[in-house]
Amino acid sequence: MWKYVLKRIGLAIITAFIILSITFLLMKTLPFQMPIGTDKEKFSYFSQQVYLGYVNDFMTANESAGKLLWSYKDGANQWHYYYEVPSFTQYFRWLGNIITKWDWGTSTVISKNLSAINIIGRRLPVSMLLNIISTIFAVPLGIILGIVAALKKNKPTDHIISTLVMVLISIPSFILITFLLLLLCYRTSWLPSKWPSVTAPIGQRILGFIIPVLSLSLGSIAGYCRFTRAELCEVMESDYLLLARTKGLTKRQAIIRHALRNAMVPIVPSILAEFLSIMSGSMILENLYGIPGIGSLFIEALNINNPDYNVLFVDMAVFTTFGLLAGVLLDISYGFIDPRIRMGAKK
Amino acid sequence: MISRMDLSILELEWGRKNNMAEKKIKDANGVEFELNKDDFTFVQKDEKIHDTKFETKPTTFAKDAFKRFCKNKSSVVASFIIGIIVIFSIFVPIFSNGNVSQNLPEQRYLEPKLFDAGTGFWDGTKNFKDIPYDVVDEVPVGFKKNAVVKITKKEDHFTNLPSNNSHGGSLKIVATQGSDIQYIYNYASFELNSEDSVELDIKFNNVDGLNGKIGKYQIFLSRSPSRTGTRYALTELKNSYEDLSINLSEFIASKSITNIPKAYIQIEIPQDQADEQYILINSLTLSSKSNNVELDDLLKEISIDDASAQCMIEPNTDLTFPNTYWRCSGRKEVYQAVLSKVSFVYDYYEAQLGLQENFRIGKSILEEYISKGWCSYDFEIGPSSFVKLSDKCPIEKIHSEIEFVSEYMQSTDYVCDVIMYKYKGYKSMPKFILGTDILGRDLFTFSLKALRTSLLLAVIVSAINFIIGLVWGSISGYFGGNIDLFMERFCDILGGVPFVVVITLTILVLGNNLGTFALALCLTGWMGTAARTRTQFYRFKGREYILAARTLGASDKRLIFKHILPNSMGTIITSVVLMIPGVIFSEASIAYLGLGLKGVDSFGVLLSNYQSTYSTHPMLIIFPSIIISLLMISFNLFGNGLRDALNPSLKGSE
Repeated sequence: MWKYVLKRIGLAIITAFIILSITFLLMKTLPFQMPIGTDKEKFSYFSQQVYLGYVNDFMTANESAGKLLWSYKDGANQWHYYYEVPSFTQYFRWLGNIITKWDWGTSTVISKNLSAINIIGRRLPVSMLLNIISTIFAVPLGIILGIVAALKKNKPTDHIISTLVMVLISIPSFILITFLLLLLCYRTSWLPSKWPSVTAPIGQRILGFIIPVLSLSLGSIAGYCRFTRAELCEVMESDYLLLARTKGLTKRQAIIRHALRNAMVPIVPSILAEFLSIMSGSMILENLYGIPGIGSLFIEALNINNPDYNVLFVDMAVFTTFGLLAGVLLDISYGFIDPRIRMGAKK
Repeated sequence: MISRMDLSILELEWGRKNNMAEKKIKDANGVEFELNKDDFTFVQKDEKIHDTKFETKPTTFAKDAFKRFCKNKSSVVASFIIGIIVIFSIFVPIFSNGNVSQNLPEQRYLEPKLFDAGTGFWDGTKNFKDIPYDVVDEVPVGFKKNAVVKITKKEDHFTNLPSNNSHGGSLKIVATQGSDIQYIYNYASFELNSEDSVELDIKFNNVDGLNGKIGKYQIFLSRSPSRTGTRYALTELKNSYEDLSINLSEFIASKSITNIPKAYIQIEIPQDQADEQYILINSLTLSSKSNNVELDDLLKEISIDDASAQCMIEPNTDLTFPNTYWRCSGRKEVYQAVLSKVSFVYDYYEAQLGLQENFRIGKSILEEYISKGWCSYDFEIGPSSFVKLSDKCPIEKIHSEIEFVSEYMQSTDYVCDVIMYKYKGYKSMPKFILGTDILGRDLFTFSLKALRTSLLLAVIVSAINFIIGLVWGSISGYFGGNIDLFMERFCDILGGVPFVVVITLTILVLGNNLGTFALALCLTGWMGTAARTRTQFYRFKGREYILAARTLGASDKRLIFKHILPNSMGTIITSVVLMIPGVIFSEASIAYLGLGLKGVDSFGVLLSNYQSTYSTHPMLIIFPSIIISLLMISFNLFGNGLRDALNPSLKGSE
């Protein structure tokens, strides 16, 4: 088991490394992004790039060094001509910087000359908090609804729940958010129509959580409900449940002690995995509701007229890492929750 | 009819009681009938039926699948909905008269309209509540009179704020603290003659305690605007607020003055240090009984009859005072002006596409109308010669000609009253059943046109993904071993990249157009089909019938195409069908991220554009949302039905 866990984690790290490398090299094929601001700010940005080894600094114009990025005369009357270093050289220096200095680059647009890792660090807590709250709501509700639907299979209750689930799963999240906003913010003005700022009164800030949590959890509730119903229905028809009933257990006992336990086996890992994967935040929700999380950061950094590649890259790295971790966790947790499953076992 | 089950029971009973020659038996419906031993014969005693033909018709896989699909009612309904939406999206943009590729600002943001205006339901009108009402023009402020269908409620409010839309009230003259005496005088002087019988009527209001105290006042007739010039007291300093009527001509006659060339009325309020002092004037009317029309007009203009209008004039702009202006050294305020507010039904179609006054059209257009015989116009005579000949003619009346000459061209414009919808080429007032958007595009036609683009993209992407995935999955699944291992690792890495990252990089590197978009969606999209195909191949390749075929010497090609693929096709096709809504969803999500398809109207871009105006124009987002939700739900139901129908293990099951 442990060998398998280590192998999976190792594989995930290698995959992440390859993905990030490809992404980095692809990003380097894009045109160089000039920082915005005064010459002084640009100078400090370029000096840092030179220090990190992504840009060459020449005293005189150098035709053979490639395309001139920027030239500047500093306070000491010294000219600086900046040229881009070849992509692969940059790649190795970038690897070195990450390994030795944990330096992932500097923001060029969003918060000038601030480390990209810092920006992510500031934005991550909001996204995480929202997802934790919505998971707390979604998991029990979804599972309970699923159980109800499974126990009342093919009865009106089940039909109502299943139809609702079908509708909620099919409707795209952005439509759901729009309708929630229309109904709860604009028609009735019960809730704030934008994410309240940190300075807003506490009541307003609590109300501000309702729409994001609703829109994040409604889809999850539907997902969990459908999954639980399917699993429980299968278990309910199994032979061991019949045995349990023949042994003399009441229906209630049989369901709680036998059916539910076994139905939970595939559900719990999927909860863990989903929890981790939505940790990275819902981009559309954060964008529409103006939540300062890492999802909206991605869109800000991706502004097509003025992209902030460094922040974008770190944000992508976070998404990739969370995604891979979720996959690994899903596979591993099967083994822990149900000892009958031996992941990666040969025979 | 007796079923086989019934018969076997009957047989048992017969066997038990065969000592009786005859027996009366009740069948399931309670009908009694008699049975003899001879009624029973063996079905196949001496027959050989293995070489006879089946009496039932043989069924094919497709027929059976279709039969099973039809049993799933919700899937059938869903497929009908999909069919209708697809047919609409193909044909509506072709046959619709609404032009959706052009920018038509005249018809922007029209309300949904199916019936004629005034019917009250779906008629292109909008209800407005509590809009300021212009009493003079009898129209809600900022709206067109001819487009107001009906006024449902009219209420008068009192306001102490000067407003363009309020009228009446009292003029409150406040003596601000700090100077001893404040006064008000008419800015435009008038000539006062002892024979003209000029009368001054002032009506006061006597409400006390409005942020101060109602104060004393004194009225003067002055020869100059200033307080220090020659002037005559018309009243004493007093605080009685009864109506006042003074004949100024008689007054000056009594002072034996025949003529004051520049006469001013001054009202003074002394300052009290403790409170702000004020007086309230309801009206101040100057009138004369002379035959001098000019003087009459001037006096009428000077008179204060609308306190609200008096206060609207900015006191410190010295240059262009209207004659009506009364200057005040203190402060002028309005007290209890009437502001009428109305609720009404407004027809945007009439407002935007109905009669437009003072609309300028070019000469060439007018000539075109003349050549079509819709109207006649003599360019020599001018606007008065315009005659409307046909009902098709958009021009109702020509007011004037405007000629303008520039460096490059010389042209003439005509200022006319135009019926807009005719001018825009509609035969009658158009009806946009779902309204129009910011660029004047018919929402119904435009969203279906955008949906067509998205559907096309989805079908192309699904087809490409299907082909790539099928080939990849077949190779990986059929050959297995190291090939499979390598291909799987490749998929792991590619699949590990978040979708947003893939799409972002592709668009950033290759630019944004339909081709790139399809490519970006295909880059990782095929892996789902590949994984499914691979699983199916693993499932079937170890089966006995494959082994048998292989033993008979079947080639790989034959095994794949004749034996494995047909069996696994059902699942794969289901996954491809379900990919279509997936692609539409992805496209829309990307548009919401600000990376939407450029150059083509796609559904996602449409949705994300309308997203920004949903607080003011919710209809624009509601209809496309309903369409996309309906499409998603229908595709999911359809996919479920298809999966069950194409599942080979359910073949022949009821």
